[in-house]
Amino acid sequence: MKKAILFILTVLMSFQFLSANSNTEAASDGNVSIEMWTKEGDADGTLQWTMALIEQFMAENPTITVEVVKKTTVDELREDFQTASLAGETPDLLWTVSDHAGPFLTADLIQSVDGLVDLSKFVETVTTAEGSWAVPMSSGNHLMLIYNKDLIQTPPTTTDELIAMGTELTTDDMYGLVYNQTEPFWFVPWLGGFNGKVFAADGVTPTLNTKEMVNALQFVSDLKNKYAIVPQECDYNAADTLFKEGKAAMIINGDWSLGDYEKLFGDKLGVTRIPMVSATKKWPAPYTAGIYLMVPKDIDAAKAKAAAKLIEFFTSKDVQYSQVNDFNRLPGLKAAYDAPKIKESSILKGSSYQLEVGTPMPTVLEMRAVWDGIKPELAQVLAGNISPADAAELMQESAVAGIAAQQ
Amino acid sequence: MSFEIVAKSLSQIGITLALILIAFGIVEAVIFLVYNKVLKAGDKALTGMLLAPAVIGLFLLIVIPLIYELVLSFSNMNLHHFKDPSFGITYFFDNIKRVFTTKILKKMTFWPLLFQTVLWTAIQVTFHVVLGLMLALILNSKIRFKELYKGILILPWAMPPVISGLTWRGEFHSEYGFFNIILRRLFGDAAAIPWMTDGFWNFVAMNITNIWMGVPFMMVICLGALQGVPSEYYEAAAMDGAGKGTRLFQITIPLIKPVLAPSVMLGIIWTFNNFNVPYFINQFMLETSDILVTALYRAAFTYNQYGFAAAFALVIFFILFGISIIYMKKTGALKAVGD
Repeated sequence: MKKAILFILTVLMSFQFLSANSNTEAASDGNVSIEMWTKEGDADGTLQWTMALIEQFMAENPTITVEVVKKTTVDELREDFQTASLAGETPDLLWTVSDHAGPFLTADLIQSVDGLVDLSKFVETVTTAEGSWAVPMSSGNHLMLIYNKDLIQTPPTTTDELIAMGTELTTDDMYGLVYNQTEPFWFVPWLGGFNGKVFAADGVTPTLNTKEMVNALQFVSDLKNKYAIVPQECDYNAADTLFKEGKAAMIINGDWSLGDYEKLFGDKLGVTRIPMVSATKKWPAPYTAGIYLMVPKDIDAAKAKAAAKLIEFFTSKDVQYSQVNDFNRLPGLKAAYDAPKIKESSILKGSSYQLEVGTPMPTVLEMRAVWDGIKPELAQVLAGNISPADAAELMQESAVAGIAAQQ
Repeated sequence: MSFEIVAKSLSQIGITLALILIAFGIVEAVIFLVYNKVLKAGDKALTGMLLAPAVIGLFLLIVIPLIYELVLSFSNMNLHHFKDPSFGITYFFDNIKRVFTTKILKKMTFWPLLFQTVLWTAIQVTFHVVLGLMLALILNSKIRFKELYKGILILPWAMPPVISGLTWRGEFHSEYGFFNIILRRLFGDAAAIPWMTDGFWNFVAMNITNIWMGVPFMMVICLGALQGVPSEYYEAAAMDGAGKGTRLFQITIPLIKPVLAPSVMLGIIWTFNNFNVPYFINQFMLETSDILVTALYRAAFTYNQYGFAAAFALVIFFILFGISIIYMKKTGALKAVGD
């Protein structure tokens, strides 16, 4: 027994020695290991692209080792990061969506990036009075009108034209227009088109029970119930499948889908703005955001330096070009807007054209309550269960309650 | 996935496992030494060493999280007070008061949510027991291809609940779902049901899904219990002229009750706390389809009200605890286990 105990203690001490020794080595020879969490997935090839970038970065910077952790959904990334922060086990870099900045800033989980990069070189980012909190990797993440040129030659420019074309195109096995009716993100552009906003000027007080909201709700309800140019019920997958199968002439979808659609339709893919609302003469205003790089708070100096180097690499002109060319994502780096593809590709021209009338997505914590306030009532309006006016009141009540719960 | 990634992952798992084994080795050695050298009771050392992994596991996985939850319920922790929450008895009473007096999420307060949860649990457990017992009785009789039927009927239980939930959600799609396609073909377009957008029909949809998922468990339990009922009872009852109904209620059910009662209690607890089905089938976040645990999830992880959610979880725990105690007293559910 004594021998066994001696053996266990010896093994333990060896582990301790090896562990201490490796740490000492890391500190003395400048090797740094960092962990990055990403929301990119492998279905559209963006995760593979990210991994290839990491390999390239590590080859160019042999003293830095980067471990990539892929999170299945953006919500999983957010929840896990919050939990990891509580445990003091955060990653060293986050590659995620801009709206995470709201909760992360409120909880004081990310650090300012002002000292890490020259932010004047980038498109708009998340900024407060205390500083800037993220580096834009890509810009956009916005919705637009995408159409199949085999089915329509000239896309509609106004909602009247949209309805007329949609009515003509909709048959038993074909829809004029499809979009994800389940998520308020697809409703927000119409609200903008009817001059509405989800927040008052202070940026945190919800304004959902307005005339503009009622008009926008009435409009989307009419598309379905009066003009019947959209399916009776349609989530993201249904809309995407219908469009890909040629059973829908137009789809409202985001820039993330362009790479896939381009592969499928090639020259037959058209991209333009969501049609102007005829009643207001105003363009619908989809939310614009992008993919941002955020640095968690309280990571040590060596890791922060390595993370900054990785950010610099991701936002280099070559990588930004590659993002444009391979995935039709508009760059976060202003200088990369001279990429030949942006000037030549009708797809990216259309995407940029839509981006011009987009509106930055609020990154405040209160936005969660607004999304959750709109979602069920929007569904009820589309189902014809309640009037737009009643829905608007219920949305406001719900958002106010949600915001109160967050305090 | 490249070989390097697989090798790296395996090496990480290997190191973790090795460290766990070493830690347990040390614990076992310490226990051995304590029993032998300190307590001078070497004959009991083996018992302590065998029990240690389970005790440590339960402590780490159950006791610590429970204590942590209890501590959180005494705090004002949310995203505004994430790193520096305050703790105190007043926060605890505030959180508990909020559970019963304010809107849990958006419109609904605690009591309607509790009613929905009880209704959901009652419907589910009733269907699970009745259908499970019926199927078990059929499978316990002399029929052909019994094993094949058993295999097919157990399938829903074997499938991961998340996959089943998402698959069923697809079947409730208003245009492309199985139900509405059948209804349209049989009765025309007007017969299609708004499974996802109408509160009532969404509640029906989640009930159908969970009945499908839950019946096999009860069927297996009932079948096991039925196979333990001696056939002599039925033969004697038949000689006395007892009909099928009399045999079922006077012989079968009383004899399988010691097995059935704890299973029903488990069914109540699982259904009351069932998260997957109400969450996945309720695509539009209709509050009419929320039950207490889905509301708890949204409070904790959507609205980040950690202190409040911990207090809310305690309330749910004590409700279930109360139901279980009453049920056990009324049915003697664990009597057979105790005996």
